[in-house]
Amino acid sequence: MSDQTITSEPRLASSLAAATSSWLPAVILLVGTIVAWEAIVRIFAISPFIIPAPSEIGRSLVAQWGTLMQATLVTAAEILLGFVVSVVVGVAIALVIVRFDWLGRALYPLVVLFQNVPKVALAPIFILWFGYGLAPKIGLILVIAFFPVTLSMLAGMQSVDRSLLSLMNSVGASRTQILFRIRVPHSLPNLMAGTKIAATLSVIGAIVGEFAGASDGLGYVIQFASTQLDTALVFAALLLVSVLGIAFYYAAEILERIVVPWAPKFSHA
Amino acid sequence: MRIDTIRAAGGKPAHIRHDDLISVKGVSVVYARQLVLQNIDLSVPKGFFVSLIGPSGCGKSTLLKVLAGLEQPTSGSVSIDGLSPVEAARKRMIGVVFQDANLLPWKNAVDNASMLLSIADKSLSRAELRARGQEMLELVGLGDAAHKRPNELSGGMRQRVAIARALALDPAVLLMDEPFGALDAITRDSMGQSLLEIWQRTGKTIVLVTHSIDEAIHLSRHVHALGIKPGRITGSIDIDLPYPRDLAVTEDPEFVRLVVQLRTMLRAGHQPGDAS
Repeated sequence: MSDQTITSEPRLASSLAAATSSWLPAVILLVGTIVAWEAIVRIFAISPFIIPAPSEIGRSLVAQWGTLMQATLVTAAEILLGFVVSVVVGVAIALVIVRFDWLGRALYPLVVLFQNVPKVALAPIFILWFGYGLAPKIGLILVIAFFPVTLSMLAGMQSVDRSLLSLMNSVGASRTQILFRIRVPHSLPNLMAGTKIAATLSVIGAIVGEFAGASDGLGYVIQFASTQLDTALVFAALLLVSVLGIAFYYAAEILERIVVPWAPKFSHA
Repeated sequence: MRIDTIRAAGGKPAHIRHDDLISVKGVSVVYARQLVLQNIDLSVPKGFFVSLIGPSGCGKSTLLKVLAGLEQPTSGSVSIDGLSPVEAARKRMIGVVFQDANLLPWKNAVDNASMLLSIADKSLSRAELRARGQEMLELVGLGDAAHKRPNELSGGMRQRVAIARALALDPAVLLMDEPFGALDAITRDSMGQSLLEIWQRTGKTIVLVTHSIDEAIHLSRHVHALGIKPGRITGSIDIDLPYPRDLAVTEDPEFVRLVVQLRTMLRAGHQPGDAS
């Protein structure tokens, strides 16, 4: 028998070593940049209003910790809710487009057309419509983030092999059966790639929403602090926004591993 | 043996009206004003292993799709045990295997093997489907790989699962379109040998599309050679080598003679014929 099982279970120790060696260059660069930043600001005595030193940012972070955490929570809630709504709506639109030909032909061009509207510009209108609370932020995240979800899921559902569809047709499978038993699971790896993009866009949506009009959240802190010329606080808030972005991105990546453990994995290293 | 009991329980017609299970009469297929298949006459006796061989573009895959009911002929008629291919497919009489195994990557081997059956017969419980899938995996020699996902299987093993999936329907006819075309030569030989064993154990009628002369002669009882422009049957030969056959048959002088005969036939079919 020439066929044999393909086994690929790298040992823990070697995979740990591989992870360390793949992360190490990035960590060295990051630490080096921070040190150089601190040194340049000190040597050239750059005004903290222009560029605060990392140590200054750290001090601000500690001093304003309570306010910043409260703002982070508000922004995180907006991102999470907006992200979930975007994924649900994005998936629903993709399903409708694939399941109902006629509706799909009506909807798809409009969705693509809408994608070309600069959605950041909608922020003031959303504030006008929905006030200063959570709703306009969710709305803004939705219009920014649903598109990659819809598009990636559509691509996945439509890339099912023709001969597999032939097999399904030969045993009399209905359109709905093909949709839910073949197309949807087949689209999950694509969908998960789309949700990772949506996670990143959700962070942008929340911050833009807060810029346009808010009384809380990290976007509000950034805007408020910059009017006060408290640049260190701006950077501290920016740091927290970045941490949120990274956290959401990796949450989406963990979700991907849970939902599609069978999908081929792509390495970033 | 097990297969026979299942077939009796499947409620399919026990009597066969013709000796020929598949009968193709005057089938032509026209695609975009191109004559893909011209006036094909073909009969496949019940329980026979028959191969269709020909160069690329001779329409052999199209012919197989016509037999499977996946493609409608422009003219002519196809009967599978007295039924049209579409009717036969609905009655689970046709199992199809393509060159690509097309397994669902999110399902393990046993669930892949029972996947088509689960759609064809909604009355079966999960446990019944599993049992059937497992039985078919054992038949194709993959009994201990039931819980492996396709990405843990080699190309040959994936193709075995695809064969198990087709057999799970307990079809009268197994239609195979270059099922081993993507495999390396050694795997291909062992797959051919396994297919022969499966054929002899189950008594299925098999129609195999291939472009390998050796494979066609090694496995089949009848080989039909197709030519191009337009796609047509240019000759048929009986392979009178006794079954059971193993790879040693390829060294038989008769085998070598048949290879030469078939090659000559194929070369003749390579010249465009009279399309009138």
